[in-house]
Amino acid sequence: MAGSVSSRNPAVVLWLVLICCWTSHLLPIAQAIWLSLPSSGTKCVSEEIQNNVVILADYSVIDVVNVDEHPDVIPTISATVTSPYGNNLHHQENVTRGQFAFTTSEAGSYLACFWLDGNHQGGTRIAVSLDWRIGISAKDWESVARKEKIEGVELELRKLEGAVQSIHENLNYLKNREAEMREVSETTNARVARFSIMSLGVCIVVSILQLLYLKRFFRKKKLI
Amino acid sequence: MKSQGKNGFSMFTDLLIHRLKSIGGEVNRVLKMERGERKRCLKIYVLLGLLLFSFVRNLSALSVTVNDEECVYEYVLYEGDSVSGNFVVVDHDIFWSSDHPGIDLTVTSPGGNTVYTLKGTAGEKFEFKAPRSGMYKFCFHNPYSTPETVSFYIHVGHIPNEHDLAKDEHLDPINVKIAELREALESVTAEQKYLKARDTRHRHTNESTRKRVILYTIGEYILLALASSLQVVYIRRLFSKSVGYNRV
Repeated sequence: MAGSVSSRNPAVVLWLVLICCWTSHLLPIAQAIWLSLPSSGTKCVSEEIQNNVVILADYSVIDVVNVDEHPDVIPTISATVTSPYGNNLHHQENVTRGQFAFTTSEAGSYLACFWLDGNHQGGTRIAVSLDWRIGISAKDWESVARKEKIEGVELELRKLEGAVQSIHENLNYLKNREAEMREVSETTNARVARFSIMSLGVCIVVSILQLLYLKRFFRKKKLI
Repeated sequence: MKSQGKNGFSMFTDLLIHRLKSIGGEVNRVLKMERGERKRCLKIYVLLGLLLFSFVRNLSALSVTVNDEECVYEYVLYEGDSVSGNFVVVDHDIFWSSDHPGIDLTVTSPGGNTVYTLKGTAGEKFEFKAPRSGMYKFCFHNPYSTPETVSFYIHVGHIPNEHDLAKDEHLDPINVKIAELREALESVTAEQKYLKARDTRHRHTNESTRKRVILYTIGEYILLALASSLQVVYIRRLFSKSVGYNRV
């Protein structure tokens, strides 16, 4: 097993493999979703986020047609991030890459919008590579590893523990939401019953009023 | 759907418990090793841990508004990776129409063939094995004219298998177990995101029902009163013209 590791060569091989993996890690294509940008108009993505959650996002422009080349002119985009109450949290113009990080102070739908700047000729299709992480995925495990001096399997297990904790929190959140919705459903149910019976009552009252009015009318006209 | 979701969830927790038990056994074995061995082990594990870290990517459940067609691209690093995900149509306030129209999902491989399709559904989970590595295209198509908001989540998971174990003799089975455990937890998280999106959709439906109940009842009362007053007015006119030659 691992007891046979005494020579240096396997470690060197492992480092090389690691470096290869890490460099592919650094390329934007390896870790994010791409959104195709229309030549005019904006492309927006949103997410419903609770209060007090860390958001970390990286975006960069990619030329879809020639991914591997590096053209001289990379089209630039502008990006904005808006909070649910309309505050502008991040705004950048004429950039090819950027990032933003903040902790949410309001619960609601956060909107990130991208659009191409005016000086784009058209022809090549442009995409934005967006790496959007919230909550536990935004946690900086390297600093945790350095601070507490843990490594390897223990670090992996610590990450798994963090994931389990976030699952537990999400479960509580879902449970509360479901309870709220059940309240609304129950009130709607009671209202439907109440309004139907009331409509029957309104029907009867209106017909009685009709009859009374017509009787009075005919009496006045001396017909009955 | 509720009971089905519950069964799926209990299945995931059973899987999780099974994985935790097996990994507990492995960890016990590792911890029982001698100290010197463990130090060397840990050094390799640091590298392997960092290596494993690069195998897992995670995305948040983003929402995008689909007017006609919206495409999202995702890069798959290794052939044979399992791509899983879900999407839910969280639609706007539909007041007058009756039911939520569905949208279509098409997944295209980097070679151009369609790997996966779903038609006319308002929300589903999907999973497939990537036949090759490269850029995959996930397209949502809205056959109706009303814009819909789709909340989606895509996850690409890689577990080092026996082939990787054979290639690199220092890749320990414990790392495979850790990767499997991580994938199991990922699937639980994905299920939760799906439930959250469906909960949002149900909330919209409930709100719309509540508003509809109030508005329709008040409209019904007004119409009733209007109809009866029209009746009365008509009868009055019948008898008001002349009592003499128009005896009804």
